[in-house]
Amino acid sequence: MGSTRKRASAWAVLAGASLVLAACTGGGTDPVDPDDTSTEPVTFTYAYEQEWQAYNTTTVATNASQNAIPMNRVTLGFWYFAPDGSVAPEEVFGSYEKVSDDPLTIDYAFADDAVWSDGEPIDCDDAWLTWYSQSGQTDTFKPVSTDGYEDIKTVECADGEKEFSVTYDKPYADWVAQFGAILPAHVVEKEAGIDDLITAINEDDTKGLEAAGDFWTKGWVFKPGELPDPSLVPASGEYLLDTWESGNSLTLKANENFYGEAPVADTVVIRFIAATSQAQALENGEIQAMDPQPNPDLKKQLEALGDQIVFASDDQFTFEHYDFNFDGAFGDKALREAFALCLPRQTIVDNLIKPDNPEAIVLDSRYYLPFQPQYEEVAAAITPEEYASQDIAQAKQILEDNNALGTELRLGYIVPNDRRVSEAALIIDACGPKGAGFDVKDEGDKTFFNAGGALVTGAFDIALFAWAGSPLVTGSSEIYTTDGGSNYGNYSNKEVDDLTEQLNQTSDLAVQQDLITQIETILWEDLATIPAFAFPGIVAYDAAAEGVEYNATQSGLAWNMQNWNIS
Amino acid sequence: MAAYIIRRLLASLLILLAASFLMYTLVSFSGDPLAEFTAVTDPDQKALLIENRIDALGLDDPFFVQYLNWLGGATQCLVPGSGCDLGLNLNNQPVTALVADAFPTTLQLVLAATVLSIILGVAIGIISAIRQYSAFDYTITFAAFLFFSLPIFWVAVLLKEFGAIRINDWLADPAVTLPVAVVMGGLSALFFSAIVGGSRRRRVAAGLAAGIAGVGVFAGLVASGWFANPGMGPGLVSLGAAACAVGATLLFTNLENRRVLATSLATAVVGVAVAYGAYGLLSDPTWVTLLALSALVTAIGVGIALTFGDIDRAAAIRASVVTSFLVGLLVFLDRTVSSFAAYSDEVNGRPIATIGSKTPNFEGTFWEVTLDTATHLLLPTLAIMLISFAGYSRYSRASMLEVMNADYVRTARAKGLTERTVVLRHAFRNAMIPLATLAALDFGAVIGGAIITETVFGWKGMGVLFTSALNKFDTNQIMGVFIVTAVAVLIFNLIADISYAVLDPRIRLT
Repeated sequence: MGSTRKRASAWAVLAGASLVLAACTGGGTDPVDPDDTSTEPVTFTYAYEQEWQAYNTTTVATNASQNAIPMNRVTLGFWYFAPDGSVAPEEVFGSYEKVSDDPLTIDYAFADDAVWSDGEPIDCDDAWLTWYSQSGQTDTFKPVSTDGYEDIKTVECADGEKEFSVTYDKPYADWVAQFGAILPAHVVEKEAGIDDLITAINEDDTKGLEAAGDFWTKGWVFKPGELPDPSLVPASGEYLLDTWESGNSLTLKANENFYGEAPVADTVVIRFIAATSQAQALENGEIQAMDPQPNPDLKKQLEALGDQIVFASDDQFTFEHYDFNFDGAFGDKALREAFALCLPRQTIVDNLIKPDNPEAIVLDSRYYLPFQPQYEEVAAAITPEEYASQDIAQAKQILEDNNALGTELRLGYIVPNDRRVSEAALIIDACGPKGAGFDVKDEGDKTFFNAGGALVTGAFDIALFAWAGSPLVTGSSEIYTTDGGSNYGNYSNKEVDDLTEQLNQTSDLAVQQDLITQIETILWEDLATIPAFAFPGIVAYDAAAEGVEYNATQSGLAWNMQNWNIS
Repeated sequence: MAAYIIRRLLASLLILLAASFLMYTLVSFSGDPLAEFTAVTDPDQKALLIENRIDALGLDDPFFVQYLNWLGGATQCLVPGSGCDLGLNLNNQPVTALVADAFPTTLQLVLAATVLSIILGVAIGIISAIRQYSAFDYTITFAAFLFFSLPIFWVAVLLKEFGAIRINDWLADPAVTLPVAVVMGGLSALFFSAIVGGSRRRRVAAGLAAGIAGVGVFAGLVASGWFANPGMGPGLVSLGAAACAVGATLLFTNLENRRVLATSLATAVVGVAVAYGAYGLLSDPTWVTLLALSALVTAIGVGIALTFGDIDRAAAIRASVVTSFLVGLLVFLDRTVSSFAAYSDEVNGRPIATIGSKTPNFEGTFWEVTLDTATHLLLPTLAIMLISFAGYSRYSRASMLEVMNADYVRTARAKGLTERTVVLRHAFRNAMIPLATLAALDFGAVIGGAIITETVFGWKGMGVLFTSALNKFDTNQIMGVFIVTAVAVLIFNLIADISYAVLDPRIRLT
């Protein structure tokens, strides 16, 4: 033992010394994969940073990517997020069709052979559970959001039917993204001790529904590593929950009762690994794919692996923007113009984003991100010529004309955040005393987002933060409307309010795009906020892995795990 | 003594109460657990999320009510059977379950590392004290300071690169390339020139010879395909067992004592015989089988010692017990290593892991599962050991040097006692007294988790639980980790004080 120990210690010393000598010689070694036998079942391992803990991802406590990612192909719905950020129909699960605009009516049909992994058909009562649990009609179900479902007048179908019709009280713009991740009503019925959920709802069985709501909210959250009996967590997708090793991994096995095409990999293992450790785990063959939050070090590490892996960068569905506080000095449009002119958007993208994603561009739209099909057209239509490039001299001129040189500008943002600190430094260079002539104060603070923090109390002039993007339009409605809950800068424009109201009730995608173009044109004219860039995303996978495809939405790589394979 | 312990325990409770209040206050006022919801775009959803968290954690209650609620649940943990409730964390998971889950993980990680670094650190510290200012002493001193000053996150990442990835690459196709030969030869030369001692010329010569021999042996192993299918085989195991017997004899008497030597050797023979006699039984054993077999060997060994020990019975029994333990360990290692080829095959030829505590869903024989745990423990254990071993070796060296210069050691030498008796019986035992305190306190502290090692190697232990809670201002989760750590520190503190009294008769606990 002693000599092993000594050898190990000396090994470490030599390792340190040889690091100096052989610093950059990494890569070049071929991956070892002796089991080439194609008959052997494939096990594909994917790394994710946080640990899964709940089967139901729609409750207020469990609505998080860490839960949703493993469930991507376990509980299906009528739609999924496609790689380009659009909402795509899940054809194997069922189909839907808009049959009327007024009142908005959608006909849904589950696939005839669609069954839960325990053999129970997926039908009407599952649709009722999805609607009722998120409709906000009762306090016992605690959904993360009631948007859309609260506007549904009826879900028409009888117990056991495969088809149902949904009628809305008022038009709802994002109706396509309703009825995703359908949960098993028969499990809720059994656990709550009610015979039939539909009857219980119709007859207002308060006690039964209370038990059902309680189970729906809390019964699908598990203690670490304690996966319940399979009958409690049936699957409607290609995979079912198999084993959960707390702190280590969650294993999904192919669902033998799946009614569509069987998945390629027999087993998918989701390993919970911190972003900083994923690259070496990939190099050592412990995982086959990863898509962590990027940083320049990670990129260097991955580049050093050479041919052993494939790696790519792209945009994420999150964007940075600069918000003016209309209650302060920037209520004056001239000052907003000056800031928009001196703001070094291109430099920020070049210096801070391109190292992670070489394809990154300056973002001009607040509704569409560059990888979305609508982006180019909308961005071209809404962006005013004068803000296309930085013009510090012009900005300075405006400040001089308005006798506003030296106006205090408090830059508020959350720390610790290296990227925003760098952004602030670049803004100070361009807009500060040496540039356009604002008196820029860097007020990065760790309490920025807190209840009494600068963002909420309005103790800022420009706020730097990010919104999660989405193909859905209603989510942005309260950011730019008068007194909107997410309108921290107190921007207000009657026209934007009206158009947003209209947008929220427009179900046609082409009309939506038109309305968004109108809204964003005004937002640019008024300089309500300035969009900056989409967050960079990164994906890396073993050279032997197949079927891995980047997806900018919250689904991440896991969106098509049924296609994963190792050659 | 009993009165003392009771008094200490009562005082500990008060300390715990005060500390928990202080900690709860500091954590509660350190940040806003609702801040993460600010970036939610949909205000209705935001309101729901915030309301839910306030409800679940009682954040609307006055601060003292929150603390008393927590204290009420935590107090139940002290009363067995009344259920233990440390509250919910921000994700609505019960903290009790999280801590119960993280605690064994941390224990598994730090226990082996701490025990090994104490044993190795003390042994090397003692040797370098006895050979003060020798080349060995200088080498160890240099290494200790080097390791002590290494940042552990950096060591951990290097270990992954060179201790796992490169080694795995190499194991896939073992070959004696120039760098490998230089490393192996260099290590061998360093080791032997350090332990040989004597003049510089002698050491250089020994180093050179050992270096060349090392490369030779290594090349032989590579050529014979040993690395693809390692193990010792019956011949080497028997030889090793004999060496164990000789070592055990040396520990208690000397080789001239034929009776003890013979009983030890006989025990070794029995051990090897049982190991190969029960070969089938050992192909996929359980811990119970293993313990039963080693108990059998020990019993036979003790029997032999009782029968043939005569006047050296006491020493013979001790030597037999130690021999059977060492032989058991040897056989255990041999069998575990022998399953390497099968194990390596199951993990796609990448045996040494960089992450986690086990291969997900790994199934195999007892030996393969043991090997799986071992390959996952290897690097984090090494990382922790490198640093804490350095500390122990320095402490034990200093303590030993002090004792070796004490008057009673000079007296012992003057009495004509052999150097071994002087060192082992008179000096070593007394040098260990201050280290007992250090080790007990260290144990208490490591329960809190090795934060950096756990993070880098992806073990979800107490340290990771603590830091993740700290980042989110998750009061209950922090308090859960805190309470376990605090109790461990208090208990081990008490053990340290008691062991001090037991080891040093001059100290009385009243």
